[in-house]
Amino acid sequence: MTGYVPGAIVLWAICILFILVPLSSFLAYGFLPVVDNAIVYEPTFDNFVNIVSNSSYRTTFLRTMLLAFEVSAFNFVLGYATAYFIWRRPPAWRNVLVIALAIPLLMSYIIKIYAMRGVLGTNGLLNSALLALGVADEPVSALLFNLMAVRITLSIVLLPFMVLPICVALERIAPQVLQAAADLGASEIQTFRWVILPLSLPGAIVGAMFTFVLASGDFLAPELVGGIEGFTFGRLVFSQFGLAFNWPLGAALSVLLMVVALVVISIARRLSNPRWQS
Amino acid sequence: MVAPDADSRHEVAGDRTPLLRIRGLGVRFQDFEAIRPLDLDVLNGEFLTVLGPSGSGKTTLLRTIAGFQQPTAGRIEFDGRDIADLPINRRPFNTVFQDYALFPHMTVRENVAFGLRVRGVARTTRDARVRDALAIVELEDLGDRYPAQLSGGQQQRTALARAMICEPRLILLDEPLAALDATLRRQMQRFLKVVQRRSGITFVFVTHDQSEAITVSDRICVMRSGRIEQIGTPRDLYYRPQSRFVAAFFGASNILEPCRIESTGEATTMVSTPFGTMRVDGPPPQVREGLALAVRPEALVPAADDTCNRIECEVVSVSFVGSETITELKHPEARHVLTMKTRSNPSARHPVVGSRLEVGFDAAACALVKGAQE
Repeated sequence: MTGYVPGAIVLWAICILFILVPLSSFLAYGFLPVVDNAIVYEPTFDNFVNIVSNSSYRTTFLRTMLLAFEVSAFNFVLGYATAYFIWRRPPAWRNVLVIALAIPLLMSYIIKIYAMRGVLGTNGLLNSALLALGVADEPVSALLFNLMAVRITLSIVLLPFMVLPICVALERIAPQVLQAAADLGASEIQTFRWVILPLSLPGAIVGAMFTFVLASGDFLAPELVGGIEGFTFGRLVFSQFGLAFNWPLGAALSVLLMVVALVVISIARRLSNPRWQS
Repeated sequence: MVAPDADSRHEVAGDRTPLLRIRGLGVRFQDFEAIRPLDLDVLNGEFLTVLGPSGSGKTTLLRTIAGFQQPTAGRIEFDGRDIADLPINRRPFNTVFQDYALFPHMTVRENVAFGLRVRGVARTTRDARVRDALAIVELEDLGDRYPAQLSGGQQQRTALARAMICEPRLILLDEPLAALDATLRRQMQRFLKVVQRRSGITFVFVTHDQSEAITVSDRICVMRSGRIEQIGTPRDLYYRPQSRFVAAFFGASNILEPCRIESTGEATTMVSTPFGTMRVDGPPPQVREGLALAVRPEALVPAADDTCNRIECEVVSVSFVGSETITELKHPEARHVLTMKTRSNPSARHPVVGSRLEVGFDAAACALVKGAQE
């Protein structure tokens, strides 16, 4: 007991000191107005009122939410198909594929985005393939520096976050349960619809949550492949900190993003913990 | 031990037509022969138990019948046609799995209804049949629970109702009671037996527990190392084991060996054992070599005037274990120790350790078994 109590105190102290204090002091910035490029230490709601009343902020916000939703929805389908494919391989193969899928997570994010730039560029892999297949007569420049490039890049880069939780959910389905379905006369399609899909859906919801939260807050991919069209909320936040040096406004915008993330996480938590899992 | 009405069923069982005719069925995993080519008939409406120690091939046999395992040799005939190539979901059999394998995301009702749902049975019919099935397994009140909210016995009964709902010709049960505690297990044994008799569905039940097999079965098929050692009624196997293995599997037996046949008659065989010459009733043995005489501990009694097989022994130990008293006896000519199990009696005098005692057994209460010393 005597050894336990100081341990708990240390852990709490670490949490408070390194997570709670920086986060809340940062959030506090959101309530401070800026007058003549200087922060005034008199808390107001001015920043938030500005954000809500500014139509270009609203447009950027909605565009970003739509973008994150599109990426999540697309990856939901692509990720499920990928996870299902991996799950259906023999066990030895399965491990190799899961590791192959997880390796990009260890790589630098910027390198991955530059790689995607290479793929999408005028002389990139995608254009070469389109030319070789005869789909296009000359290189398509519309693949890069627009919203579509952001969608494609985020989808590819965030795919592991979708696939891995689905793999875990599929892996947890007892083989006997599938045998029971077949034994009771279910075809493969019926087994998929009534057994495999509902049992792995919680994993897919967690994956979609990861994808949405990460896509909605991302600024690097839109910055590097998005061009003018691909201006997102993340870039807006970044510009307040890095370009306009309006930290309070940046903090206020971040608060908005964090609220969205928390709402999405709480919805996903509810959806991914169905009653039967108790 | 076995109710009289169960006995009369055994006689009927002999006239029944086979539901499954298994011929030369073998299963081989690389260089391991899980089932050596065997023949087995499963009779219509019977409760057949496949009994054996782990690794005997009993579960493989069940899984092969269900279709989860492809045989490497032989045929399984159902209604006269070979079903070896019929996919699992087209076989008119259902399985109760060892760990129940209930669908965790479905309620009891939905689990039970699954077989009807895949067959596209209309909702109203489905609901009525599920209600009936839940009534049979006494789970009417728990229809809306999820498997995680049920006890082991309740999960077990859900699995049974789910397997029965499509009125299969055959239900395969893979050690379904293994995970239950002893009391619940005995309850479920009786319950399974009653449900089987009422429904008339043929049950093939796999277990490694011989007392369970005796309690529930019409017939028992004892397996060992991928072979069928003996098939018969529980009584047959208990009183007329054909091999040393079966005799030992159904409780400890006194094995008198080496055993040499002196003379054989139509219903009586005289054999010489290290304990003297003994009379054995029953049909003459099929082999003459490598035989031993098996006598159950409870068949051994202090000799009376009319006892035909007698052994003069020295009492080695006497242990009182409640309803029974176990006496260990030694014969000067033989190295074996014999075990005698007698009903305890407060007024009777128990044998004294070191004293001489003449014990004996009835000619009908012993069996000639094959199988060398192990």
